Amino acid sequence: MLACVVRGVIFIKKKTGIDFIKKKTGIEKKKARWGFIFTIPAIIFFSIFSFYPIINAFITSFYKKDLLSLSKPQFIGLGNYKYLIHSESFWNSVKATTIFTVGTFIPLVIMSLILAVFISSRKRFQKFFQMAYYSPALLSSVVAATIWLLMFDPRGLANQFLNFILNTPGKDYKWLTNPSILRLATILVYFWKYIGYFTVIFITGIASIPQTINEAARIDGANRWQVFTRITLPLIKPTTLLVSIMAMTRCLKTFSTQYLFTQSGAPLKPIDVITLNIYNTAIRDHQIGRASAMSIILFVIILALTMIQFKVSKAEEVQY
Amino acid sequence: MPKQKKYIFSSITDILIWILLIVFAIMVLVPLVFMFTASFMPANDIMTIPFPWIPKTFYIENYKQAFRGNDGSYIFLRNILNSFIVAALTTIGTIFLCSITGYGLAKFEYKGRNFILIMILSTMMIPFEAIMVPLYLTITNLGWQDTYAALIIPFLMSAFGVFLMRQFLITFPDELLDAARIDGASEIGIFFKVVLPNSIPPLATLAVLTFRYQWDSLLWPLLVIQTPKKKTIPLYIVHFAEEKFTNEGALMAAAAIASIPMIILFLMLTKYFIGGSNVYTGGKE
Repeated sequence: MLACVVRGVIFIKKKTGIDFIKKKTGIEKKKARWGFIFTIPAIIFFSIFSFYPIINAFITSFYKKDLLSLSKPQFIGLGNYKYLIHSESFWNSVKATTIFTVGTFIPLVIMSLILAVFISSRKRFQKFFQMAYYSPALLSSVVAATIWLLMFDPRGLANQFLNFILNTPGKDYKWLTNPSILRLATILVYFWKYIGYFTVIFITGIASIPQTINEAARIDGANRWQVFTRITLPLIKPTTLLVSIMAMTRCLKTFSTQYLFTQSGAPLKPIDVITLNIYNTAIRDHQIGRASAMSIILFVIILALTMIQFKVSKAEEVQY
Repeated sequence: MPKQKKYIFSSITDILIWILLIVFAIMVLVPLVFMFTASFMPANDIMTIPFPWIPKTFYIENYKQAFRGNDGSYIFLRNILNSFIVAALTTIGTIFLCSITGYGLAKFEYKGRNFILIMILSTMMIPFEAIMVPLYLTITNLGWQDTYAALIIPFLMSAFGVFLMRQFLITFPDELLDAARIDGASEIGIFFKVVLPNSIPPLATLAVLTFRYQWDSLLWPLLVIQTPKKKTIPLYIVHFAEEKFTNEGALMAAAAIASIPMIILFLMLTKYFIGGSNVYTGGKE
């Protein structure tokens, strides 16, 4: 009887992690104190460098504030947001960012999925292909943009390649001057840099599918296409969603390529993405309030996407 | 007979897949090869049509010019050192602070623990680009404008790092910790002597992620650093690319110099690079 009760208590204790019998002894209290002490640096750090700035951005977005002027910032309510809604430059940035994000992340997800499926189907050289595709991700974004800047030169490799493929000798595609082509150029740089990064994530996702399922399907007479559409694709759906959102948030935050290209003489307007606009508004125009309002808008968009990402990663566990 | 047909069909797709993989690999590698070959060519050779893939002579002058700079100040050497120092200090700080926080959140029970954890994790949803302007103002108020402190201190921790370490340490065997306690080790001693040495894999992943992020960083240094002597490599390259006297070869030489440390690191720690991209990155990344 007693043994039963004890066993029951132990069972509940294990399940809930709550202590019924023991009271906290001195040692445990001391231990708990240490646990809290270990987290103090983090509390201080994140308060100063994460919470304070985001709250500050929120407050500043209601003020008219100049970077250099010493006079007190003036409260203008929703003035900055109202200004942005009527600002051509802001809507141009929204457009540029949207075109860049959609134009980059969709091809990126599709191509990296295809490459990952192909590489996973190989019995040899898997590692070689992974490393080759991954290598551009090693370069810093500035270096990547610099290389492509030279390749997009009128006499550069990009023109030579297109002229060869399309058989248009001597034609200049105006990579860095024609607005639409310039947008395509920035997309190409990003696509090139991150294709391997996402391929590697997909390969891990595919590798986690048990071999037995594939083999069973093959024995049942399924061909490769059927295995791909009926087994691989549904089972890596969580990875696909996760990669899509990661790629999307990364594209929304793009800065280096656009900055370097405009600094080297490319027109700003077609590639004036939101981060570049925030930077210019704050540093060149000294309009801190407006820049903060834009930051808050970017924050809300990325927050929404991250929420979805967390939901997806929670649902990630696939039952095989 | 149909079995034979099926076999031929399957081997054709097989060959097509090989071709596609190889062609795509070449296309991905071309810009990299371009960077290295162009860095050994005089500017005139780089802009000839068609591009001569093999340098006629090893034109080292580009590398000399990249190091020397257009003004002969050799400031690039200093900037390379800066990048190393900033990335290394940030990485060491991140490893240490994220693991001690992760340890405190994983292995101790106290009031408010879960609240602290949730608050830290919630900062992963704040993109750095959204707080850079107010953070810049904070840095100015602290008087850190144009200092290394501005480059290092705001990045000494990442919520993602705390998350990574906490998830790892939650499965850390309690017996090891208790044994050390019975032996009379202090709590801090346990962290350094028992926890840290047994957490190498996640620490290495976190170190690689942090180092790369810092090595790559452009936007933040652009905001806070003005003095040429305090610049990091990306800032130098941006500046070098803007200057009129920079020739293409020297620019590619500078790009190659900036990339070589990362390539060496990749070849040494491939598994942490490739593994690292699989821990879904968030936060300041």
